[in-house]
Amino acid sequence: MAQSASAAASPRLPWSTRLDKLQRRVAPYLFISPFFILFAIFGLFPIVFSMYLSLQVWNPIQGLGTMRYVGLENYVWLMDDPWFWRSITNTLWIAFASGLPQHLVAIPLAFALSRGIRRFRHPLTAAYFLPFITSAVAIAIVFQTIFGTQFGILNQALMYLANAPWSAWLFGGLADGLPVNWLGRAPNIKPAISILVWWQFFGFNVVLYAAGLATIPRDYYEAAEIDGASVAQSFFHITLPLLRPMIFFAVTLTIIGNLQLFDQPFILTGGTGGTGQAGMTVAMYLYRTAFEWLEMGTAAAISWLLFLLIGTLTLTHFYFFGRSGLETRG
Amino acid sequence: MATRVVTDTRPWRSPRAGRNPVGTFLLYLVLCALALLTLFPFYWMFVLATHSQSAIFSAPPPLWFGSNLEHNMEALRAQLPFLRNIWNSIYIALMATVTTMFFCSLGGFAFAMYDFRFKKQLFAFVITSLLIPPLLGIIPYYLIIQFLGWLDQPRALWFPGMASAFGIFLMRQYVASSMPRDLLDAARIDGASEFRIYWSVALPIIRPGLATLGMLTFIGSWNNFLGPLIVISSREKYPIPLALRTLQGQIQTEWGATLLGTALAVLPLLIIFVLASRQVIEGLVAGSVKG
Amino acid sequence: MKKILVLMLATLLTATVALAQTTLTVGVFEPHKTHVDAVLPQFLANHPGVTVEVRQLSFGDHHDLLVTNLATGSGAADVVVLEIGFIARFVAEGGLRDLSEPPFNADQYADQFVGYAWRQGRTADGRQIAMPTDIAPGTMYYRRDHLEATGWDIEDVVASMDSYLEWGRELKERGVFLVANASTVADGLVRANIPAGDGIYFNAAGEPQLNSERFLTAARVAKAIRDEGLDAEIGAWSNEWFEAFRQGTTATEMSGVWLLGHFRNWMAPDTSGLWGASRFPGDLLVSWGGSYWAIPNQTPADKLDLAWDFIRFLTTTPEVQLDAYRNIDAFPAMPVTYDDPMFAEPLEFLAGQQARLMWATVAEQIPGVAVFPGDVIAGEIWSSALSEILNEGRDIHAALEEAQSLIVRRIRR
Repeated sequence: MAQSASAAASPRLPWSTRLDKLQRRVAPYLFISPFFILFAIFGLFPIVFSMYLSLQVWNPIQGLGTMRYVGLENYVWLMDDPWFWRSITNTLWIAFASGLPQHLVAIPLAFALSRGIRRFRHPLTAAYFLPFITSAVAIAIVFQTIFGTQFGILNQALMYLANAPWSAWLFGGLADGLPVNWLGRAPNIKPAISILVWWQFFGFNVVLYAAGLATIPRDYYEAAEIDGASVAQSFFHITLPLLRPMIFFAVTLTIIGNLQLFDQPFILTGGTGGTGQAGMTVAMYLYRTAFEWLEMGTAAAISWLLFLLIGTLTLTHFYFFGRSGLETRG
Repeated sequence: MATRVVTDTRPWRSPRAGRNPVGTFLLYLVLCALALLTLFPFYWMFVLATHSQSAIFSAPPPLWFGSNLEHNMEALRAQLPFLRNIWNSIYIALMATVTTMFFCSLGGFAFAMYDFRFKKQLFAFVITSLLIPPLLGIIPYYLIIQFLGWLDQPRALWFPGMASAFGIFLMRQYVASSMPRDLLDAARIDGASEFRIYWSVALPIIRPGLATLGMLTFIGSWNNFLGPLIVISSREKYPIPLALRTLQGQIQTEWGATLLGTALAVLPLLIIFVLASRQVIEGLVAGSVKG
Repeated sequence: MKKILVLMLATLLTATVALAQTTLTVGVFEPHKTHVDAVLPQFLANHPGVTVEVRQLSFGDHHDLLVTNLATGSGAADVVVLEIGFIARFVAEGGLRDLSEPPFNADQYADQFVGYAWRQGRTADGRQIAMPTDIAPGTMYYRRDHLEATGWDIEDVVASMDSYLEWGRELKERGVFLVANASTVADGLVRANIPAGDGIYFNAAGEPQLNSERFLTAARVAKAIRDEGLDAEIGAWSNEWFEAFRQGTTATEMSGVWLLGHFRNWMAPDTSGLWGASRFPGDLLVSWGGSYWAIPNQTPADKLDLAWDFIRFLTTTPEVQLDAYRNIDAFPAMPVTYDDPMFAEPLEFLAGQQARLMWATVAEQIPGVAVFPGDVIAGEIWSSALSEILNEGRDIHAALEEAQSLIVRRIRR
């Protein structure tokens, strides 16, 4: 650094200048230290401790001293645990069933919003985005009433549509299955949760994709138009490829987020995971193992296995889409 | 990215599009229908909050507001110190927002405006920490809070997240793209300390970004459920999500009161959003695109 | 200057008064608050200088919170009431005080309680961690109007499970369901005639019983009910469930006697006079619940005497036990109270039937249900298996074998 050279060459600098230089050198480290300190306490240490805890058997009621080392036994036990695997399949099912439509709907929607219409762009986007900022707990409670078997408005609407003269031709086939017991029957719980999660997050993806679309220069579209391309063609050949970085980013967020779903299934099933644990996600299973069945060691092991799952899926995702996904974003 | 990408990013509409009024009309119809469907649960929440239990469980259901609001309010107050719960949520969210805005802008400022040893590695560390699932640390989080004696205290909720990785990331992007380094040097020549530069020069410039971060933090804190579920145990200290869950958990759930509670829980965010939706959306966009 | 002196004096006085006052915190779930509030003046009259603070939470939250409090060693009330199903969680050491030890010496009261109720508060290694306050003899509530319409006599209905189902078939022809959910019948059957020393899900040696004859029978009966369409497939405690009682679309419901209180107070008050109560079909003796009072380990030493006084007041004082029955339909755990004229009272809701006498007889005969740490999770595994059998048509043997292996794995930890 130039300073040391000048310090050697020139006489000793006044005390205030040295202090000044010091604070300038030290400032950046000082400014970023809160993050690293907090991270050390609330980020790093928990991770390390959680790894340690996963190798123990511990019932917290009996006190800290009763921790018993068991090595990898918790992990082995979980590998054989039907409920653990059920929670994994539940989580993956919901993640996929709510995640895929989120993006399949959001991309055309964002496209329509930025290319198809002139007015109301912002109000519509805001409307789609609103569910994202609301509390999952509040929403889940409302959806609980919506999904009610006899009196929920969803079933009532479906029954109306199946019977009303003007719509029966389209919806009449549903009549036998109505009213659907959304929250009480095992096969229906996951679709119900997925509908809720889809509803809550698709607007967020619309916003992301709209932002991504905005980075595509107009000249491309104009050039395509001149060449006689239809809307559909320019969508598939210009928009989608150029949108890949954003798709990559958004899907990453969906993977990481959906695999840790807790609030929505927790509230919709009243904290139980539903009949036959059909609505129990890994996060819920973790919570129950730790705080209801008091097996802290096993719960810590669950969290690590979940981390492994998320990591694997993310890496796979990176592998297939990562190169082009990360390139364009520099 | 140091340079701004100069693109004509005005939404592009083909001149051809105007020639298909029917198609456009249908498109508007679909989009608006979807918007109405999206908003319906909110409307439903507010409508049901004004009805009695028997009205809520009737076929066909009431589609317009009822007259039971006062009664539901009383029932709500009888079960929980609900206004206290709202205050708890406000307090925690405000503390989280203010501290996050400060520490993250400070950190983001440092990463954006300085070159120092290990800067690249440290920033990479910050980014990587974003990928760690929060669930991994949930049990140790509980144990640490217990160890610190912070169980059942609001600070257990806003303190740990004060300097969040996401916030630093967002702020760094923002500072880097809105503040030229010459300003820094000019201020230094004037004799300002580094902190003064941050406080008096940088902060005013990044106000919009700060506002976005603040709003996102506020929203996130307001909606946090798992955290309070684990560390808060007394009713007077419940923030809103816990209070709502208590309402839902009763054997004889008073649905009118419960839905009124959810409506009240959602209202502040709704208001903020209606007033500042552009800000929130654009801020989020800026953070993700520039990243 | 004078003002400041006065202020200081006032503060000093308040402080001393506050110090002199001891506050006892009591943690309850509904409906115990109603009862405690009602009898509190009596207690306070004998304990001057004491204030009692009652904290109420919902049933689930109360027990979940207690787990957290006991785990962290702080935050629990000085005295707590627990539902028997949840005592299992706290059986492990470190949570609740052993009341048979000095200064409590609870064992002196042992024979003042119905035998099995006392045993349920005792761990396998001999610690009395809770005092019984109310019990729940199992009973069957039935609609008299449906009974009359079919011309049956109630004794014939409950002669056996077979006759019970037979009646159900006749009801079905009239468009009435026998019961709201077949699983309730199964739950009753697994709680019936448990050998003394055994628990619901575990035998006296602590071995899981989920694939034993009792469970197989319970599942078979429930499946028969479901397959023949005799139940309404309604989830318990759901809104449809309440409606079914209000409108009389189901003819019977099995539960602990405490359901009457709910019926009467809020669930279906307008159906008063239309119901009757009988013994369980097949004359089975069922225990379906019960509340217990306990003192957490963390209660400070200087409050132990007060806490114990409070518990004794509520559990060993016959008048207070009878008050509990009057106030919240909590069936007393003390047989001496069964001689009270209150038990011979005709119950209006049950069309004047003197049901309490019948229940008292049942209560004294129930052999015993011990508590095991794995009870909570065993209950879940059982419900899960049952719902698979009933709702998804899973084979009974397969489901119960799997349930058994699940619970065996879980408790081995």
